[in-house]
Amino acid sequence: MKVEFIENWHSQFRKGLLPMFVFIILEKKKCYGYELIQDIKVEFDIDVGEGTLYPLLVRLAKEGLLSPQWEEQPSGIPRKYYSISSEGKSVLASMKTYAGSILKKINE
Amino acid sequence: MKAISFDNQSAQRVYNDYMQRCRRATSILSEKDREDVLLEINSHIYEFLTANNTKDQMETLLNVLDRLGAPEETLKDIVAAKKIGQATLTFNPKHLIQALVLNLTNGVIYFILFVLFLFEIAFPILIILKLIYPDHVGLFINSNGAFQYGYMSESGSGGISIGFHSHAKVTELLGSWFIPVSLLTAVLIYLGIIFLLKIVKKNKTK
Repeated sequence: MKVEFIENWHSQFRKGLLPMFVFIILEKKKCYGYELIQDIKVEFDIDVGEGTLYPLLVRLAKEGLLSPQWEEQPSGIPRKYYSISSEGKSVLASMKTYAGSILKKINE
Repeated sequence: MKAISFDNQSAQRVYNDYMQRCRRATSILSEKDREDVLLEINSHIYEFLTANNTKDQMETLLNVLDRLGAPEETLKDIVAAKKIGQATLTFNPKHLIQALVLNLTNGVIYFILFVLFLFEIAFPILIILKLIYPDHVGLFINSNGAFQYGYMSESGSGGISIGFHSHAKVTELLGSWFIPVSLLTAVLIYLGIIFLLKIVKKNKTK
């Protein structure tokens, strides 16, 4: 079996699903960047790089799908918390429906 | 922005140097966007250091900086995305051209946009030239049906030209309408650029 090919495909597949993973985690709770990277690792077994995640967060926020908010911390170094907006929730619902229909076709 | 302080002097210098590189890499952004990016990088470094608290501060710092990558590379996409947002919000030509140049390598569409922007610059120049040399600037057509929109002198020509040979008999068509037509074209191209940028921005999140 072409192990390298499968591994590349896994990586591309998970990268494509990354916005959905971000929405799924943020639907449960708001997160700051570092926390989100850790949660994605635990929940979906993906070690997403900072150079991939932060530009994605910027774009999703600019589209109004995420709502970022700075929160002061006792350390004096604030955290930027991201939460999913109502528009983001509708997008996630649509993503889940689409992913579900694809999975159904695969398993047929 | 509150800087992170390290007990290890070498770690402090490495951190200061990294943040300085981030400042340089984001210098093109508005003050607000720049501060936002820098605060988030600072926050990320701090959270990583707190979560991976070891005796060797330097090693932990190098680990997080290694993950973040070179600011000039890592921040390229963020700066480009924020710059597009700024350009479409402010309609400022300076931000617009910076956004186009930053995104030039991201696809053919930006190349097309860049060419459109060059046209956008050409029309106001032609309007000024029309005021200075009214007889040499206009929409010229020759006896063969070929046309040229722009500047033409007896020795040479400049502008949008299709199959034009200066030897044939030449007539100018627009006259005093040249300035309003050029102005309107420039406005339409500008709106076209903004419209295309908004489409690109939407597609980037897909």
